[in-house]
Amino acid sequence: MKKYIIKRVLLGLLVLVGVVTITFFITRILPSNPAAQWVGPRATREQIDAATIELGLDKPLLVQFKTYIFDLLHGNLGVSLRTKQQVTSELKTYIPPTIELVLVSTILAVIVGIPLGIYSAKKKDKLLDHFCRFFSVGAVSLPTFWVALFLQLIFYRGLKVLPLGGQLDAKLVLLYNVPDVTGLLVLDTLITGNMTLFVDALKHMILPAITISLYPIGLVARMTRSAMLEILGEDYIKAARSYGLKENLILWKYALKNSLGTTATVLALSIGYTLVNTFLVEAIFNWPGIGNYISTAVMSMDYPAIIGVTLFSACSYIILNLLADIIIAIDPRVRV
Amino acid sequence: MKRKLALILTFLMIVTTFTACGGNNQGENSSKPNTADMDVLYYAYNSIPILTWDPSIEFSNGIIVLNNIYEQLLRFNASTKEYEKVLATDYSKSEDGLIWTFKLREGVKFHDGTPFNAECVKYSVERTKEIGQGAAFIWDPVEEIKIIDDYTVEFVLSQPAPMDVIASCPYASFMMSPSLKDKPNSWFEEGNANGTGPYKLQESKMGDEVILTKNEDYWKGWDGEHFEKVIVKKVSETSSRRQMIESGEADITMELPSEDVEALKGDENVVVEVVPSFTNLIGFFNNQKAPLNDIRVRQALSYAFPYEDVVNYAMGGYATQAYGPVPKGMWGYSEDLFQYSYDLNKAKQLLEEAGIKEGQLKLLLTYMTGDESEKKMAELYKGELSKIGVELEIRAMPWESQWEMAMGTDTSSQQDIFVMYWWNDLSTPYSYLYSLFHTEDSTLYNLGYYRNTDYDALIDKAQSESAINIENAEKDFISAQEILIKDTPAIFMYDKNVVWVKSPLLKGHKDNPSYPFVVFFYDLYREK
Repeated sequence: MKKYIIKRVLLGLLVLVGVVTITFFITRILPSNPAAQWVGPRATREQIDAATIELGLDKPLLVQFKTYIFDLLHGNLGVSLRTKQQVTSELKTYIPPTIELVLVSTILAVIVGIPLGIYSAKKKDKLLDHFCRFFSVGAVSLPTFWVALFLQLIFYRGLKVLPLGGQLDAKLVLLYNVPDVTGLLVLDTLITGNMTLFVDALKHMILPAITISLYPIGLVARMTRSAMLEILGEDYIKAARSYGLKENLILWKYALKNSLGTTATVLALSIGYTLVNTFLVEAIFNWPGIGNYISTAVMSMDYPAIIGVTLFSACSYIILNLLADIIIAIDPRVRV
Repeated sequence: MKRKLALILTFLMIVTTFTACGGNNQGENSSKPNTADMDVLYYAYNSIPILTWDPSIEFSNGIIVLNNIYEQLLRFNASTKEYEKVLATDYSKSEDGLIWTFKLREGVKFHDGTPFNAECVKYSVERTKEIGQGAAFIWDPVEEIKIIDDYTVEFVLSQPAPMDVIASCPYASFMMSPSLKDKPNSWFEEGNANGTGPYKLQESKMGDEVILTKNEDYWKGWDGEHFEKVIVKKVSETSSRRQMIESGEADITMELPSEDVEALKGDENVVVEVVPSFTNLIGFFNNQKAPLNDIRVRQALSYAFPYEDVVNYAMGGYATQAYGPVPKGMWGYSEDLFQYSYDLNKAKQLLEEAGIKEGQLKLLLTYMTGDESEKKMAELYKGELSKIGVELEIRAMPWESQWEMAMGTDTSSQQDIFVMYWWNDLSTPYSYLYSLFHTEDSTLYNLGYYRNTDYDALIDKAQSESAINIENAEKDFISAQEILIKDTPAIFMYDKNVVWVKSPLLKGHKDNPSYPFVVFFYDLYREK
């Protein structure tokens, strides 16, 4: 087991090295001029030349790569060409809102997706099952940006009950001090007991969280359903039934426990997908997260920022994969 | 069954709590401070409101914020073409335009309490010059700044230059306090500001959102109606900006697609204002590359451009066909200049004269990725060119890449037509005529690689002249454009209009194209 995990971690590190190398060279080989980007619009020739030397861009690419890797090992991701801020400190600002969104939508996926899957397994080929199937397929296949705009149209413009975007009401921010304890706003406002801000933050969270959770909900529901169906056909369930155990007890305790392994694996992997999915949703909901940050970085070929975010995504994927592997490994039925 | 019931009940409870929270908000807050009574102006901006807080460096969107926190000596009023006195009360120049004397306003204080005086002017200009980034070049002609007395300062120039134009520049002309010297280098990076303007920086969130609050000690005073606080926020989605203005959440916004603007025109909760801007779209021919080095080919391609269709369909009517590189409303603009019109027969004839057969000419046009109007323009142009047997390849590129390709020294690997928007820094025709068409040793913004020594001499003369006699300068700038249009180094496509979308209760807003997208918040108020 220990050996297995160490092997996976080492493999993950190898993948990270690959990701950094490829992203670095791709962003640098593309025709672009980082020095001009650094100086800003309407740069003069002298300014660009000075910046080329300042940023070390006059050195061969391999030397630059060495410097970059050396800095990276010291936890320094470099300075953004566009904002001239440390990429590390920018990531620290933009990652928590994204994590918050992903966490909430994952929780939503679990508390909605799993019961949905169980019920449709129980009522196989009945109306509820058909409805669940329709819902899950829809949830997985509807384009997120469409759902986002649709929800905005209904709840902001139509019903006027939920805000359009952002994390907090811009005017409310003027009245209260926004707490910053963990970086997760909903949690922070709750900890500090500012109910007005908490409710407002929660309201801002609803639409983007629903939008993002649709995909994992559909996925989790489908996975739970098929895993449950398989398990419900097993002998020990038949045995349990013949003992006259209550159907709910069988479903929620004996069957569910055994199906959770598959669901958890799928869920862990789908978080990775959700993370990337937020990028688009954040733009629409003006959510101050990592997606908003990367989209401006890509548009302006800000390579330190691009590599920074790519690294973050790669790390999350690797960790989540590892988690999924461990979940599988814990299962005594799997021998590793 | 009981369990299911419990589940349903819990769910219902959660739902009711949510709706209760939502509903209670207004009632509950009546005793607490309420956002509805607040005197706050909300400007929904399409991009990051500020890139760097250093007023010497910022050469981008940031002027929309900085122009409310900092002030210049003068402000150019583009509609009266006069210079309004801001931190200067009067100015005079020597006959040769080499020495400019500015009298300064007394009793002005920076946000930190430092008094404004001649020392500050000297410090600000020298600081900007020394850093040498952004638009620092505007101060190039200044050789020395002499402090005559506390409230008089003299600029000694190395060559005649219009100091009034320079001192009112929207970029890099802000007056800063010498107390900056004691601050660490990271002071600006941490999001700080200290100007003499009507608003102070209250808070900023990594440039996504800026909150300004009124400067109680502002020298103009706070009589009359003004806003207490201002929020400038990045809302990059056009649909969000539209919905925010429709719902009244935002008070003012800009840069909506023409389809949205059309739809909003009928809405009585919204005011749409269309004004000319100093931004224009230019397509530079590669004047050094065959066969575009033949003037007849450039003329033919100018005649083949569907000016009217581009204005109507690519820009939704929110533009006017350009007369030359100087935009409408800027001094030096003239409607007496020759203007190309769409004429395919003439284009065909000119191509024949140049010995180009149908299907022989293949051209590459580059434009900036993500610009919808440039894309539509290019597609319309491609359609017209195909009618006269010219094949146009359209390539969208990130600005850096587009520029990098144009700066290459190998002519054969360069583009044939380079499309870009240009806007004013200094409010003078020179800002367009020099940067875009003056001979360059290595390419920077003369992206058509145009070379004409007569033209160079004429605009340089006009620039010096503008320090002495503006009428003569204007004449020379117009003659220079005549030369330019005769040589046809570029297609002068259109001068863009700016569309402001505002709340009907918002009063006092007047666009000033010299300061693109700047809203001078001090002038605004909400009608009660």
